[in-house]
Amino acid sequence: MTRYIRNKFIGLIIVLIGVTILSFIFSNISSVDPAEAFARRTILNPTTEQVENLREEMGFNLPVHIQYLNWLRNCIKGDLGISLLTKNPVIYDISKKLPATLSIVSLAFLWIIAITLPVSILSALSKDNFFDHIMRMITIIGISIPNFWLGFLMLVVFAIAIPIFDVVAYGDFKGLILPSLTLAIPIASSSIRLLRATILSNMNKDFVIYARARGISRNNIICKHILKNSMPPMVTVFCQNIGYMIAGSAIVENVFSWPGIGRHLVDAIIARDLPTINACVLVIAIIFVLLNLFADVLNCAINPKILQETGGF
Amino acid sequence: MKDILTINNLSILLRKNQSQIVKNISFNLEAGKILGIIGESGSGKTLTCKAIMRLLNEKKFTIKGSIRFKGDDLLKMKEGQINNILGKDISMIMQNPMTAFDPMMKIGTQIVETIRAHTRLSKKEAYFMGMKELKKMNLKGVSEIMNSYPHTLSGGMLQRIMISIALMLRPSVIIADEATTALDVKTQSIILDEFNKIRESGIGLIVVSHDFGVIAKVADNVIVMKDGSIIESSSVYEIFENPQKKYTKELLNSRLLIREMRHA
Repeated sequence: MTRYIRNKFIGLIIVLIGVTILSFIFSNISSVDPAEAFARRTILNPTTEQVENLREEMGFNLPVHIQYLNWLRNCIKGDLGISLLTKNPVIYDISKKLPATLSIVSLAFLWIIAITLPVSILSALSKDNFFDHIMRMITIIGISIPNFWLGFLMLVVFAIAIPIFDVVAYGDFKGLILPSLTLAIPIASSSIRLLRATILSNMNKDFVIYARARGISRNNIICKHILKNSMPPMVTVFCQNIGYMIAGSAIVENVFSWPGIGRHLVDAIIARDLPTINACVLVIAIIFVLLNLFADVLNCAINPKILQETGGF
Repeated sequence: MKDILTINNLSILLRKNQSQIVKNISFNLEAGKILGIIGESGSGKTLTCKAIMRLLNEKKFTIKGSIRFKGDDLLKMKEGQINNILGKDISMIMQNPMTAFDPMMKIGTQIVETIRAHTRLSKKEAYFMGMKELKKMNLKGVSEIMNSYPHTLSGGMLQRIMISIALMLRPSVIIADEATTALDVKTQSIILDEFNKIRESGIGLIVVSHDFGVIAKVADNVIVMKDGSIIESSSVYEIFENPQKKYTKELLNSRLLIREMRHA
């Protein structure tokens, strides 16, 4: 088990390095010059000389790989740089914004679990019946609806037509409900399809027939055997979805004027605030990667067969 | 001998197109006897067994006729009633021991679950009962077996655990559907010896196989099935010495094992 986790961990560090390198390269490919953008924001009509000076000061004149190594060195020391936009340490800005995102995402995650489990079980049990057909339609709509449009729809219906919620409602728990639902609905829809299919395929397995032949009751077979055996793919998907929700929270945060990390990242990209972009990418990547590790460990814990199969790895 | 299971005019139809898969078959099983059912794949052996245990999906199949177990018709029973009988009075040994157990549940838990579905024992009592019953099958390292997951045990070992579970609650009928097909020859003969012991304890056994060698070794009476019908039915001696139907002869000739049986 320890060796399995250690091996996974090494793989994850390689992923992190890859992600940050890509982030650096893409930022440099862009035609907008960060030094010039910064100069135009801070100095009225900057001269070429002033821009050059700034460039040198900020280290943007160095080759990309040197820039990356410098950044990496500081990063290991815990210094992610100063934001060009807010002039605060990047880490301070992120620590202010991250909790807002995490609160939406965690509530969204609870919605997903609370919706997915009962609906998929009922759909699987009433396969091809009325409920299953209705759910199939609803989930297909849920999967295909764009996030931002769903968000606007929610606002129009539940904050304007039927004013249960406020349009801008950052700060209390009530304000969390609409954005988290907006994040949760598409993911819950696709999870329902997946879990329903997994449950149905497990229902025809030998071990279910044998459990019935041993006289185990229907409810026990569903809860103890079928659901448990359907969990491994769901654990992976759920954990990945938390990662996607954090990375993709920008759209929902913009719609609901929510001061989270996604919106922060978009603002930084527009302002060519390179230290913030790199730091946001790093933080999101770390969360994503840790969630994947968590999913793997959890799967090992519930399914002893995995360790045996990939033990050599 | 007393009949414990009487199957009368059993027909199984596909609901979709009403095609008849098992056609009007009747037979009975006596206590302390082994009934062999033989036939090629698709002859309806497995469907018949599953129909007896009510394991067929009733949305897909229509089942007609009657299956009387100690006088009561199994086909008319409600789900709760049938669950009380399955695993306790009628138990099953499945074809592939490697896939029959829940891969994510320890053997011990699956045994305890079975015992507790039919008795009022506590978890601990059921666990001890399970260990005691496994020891009767001459399995070694019983406490490790209880604590291990199915994939860590061998097919032969799992098959013996399955037989042990089948016997655990003192059933009157055991149905073994191709129970030896997935095993190597040596384990197969150990399992067949177990079947002979089961017969001696007065349990009625239905052994389904496509292998005449297996049937010859254990069965008292034999039913030959083809395309969903019983085409021949008599004692094992009659079938081997004096088969009436051409199909039975063909089946016999295609088995080399029969020679071995004649010397036995």
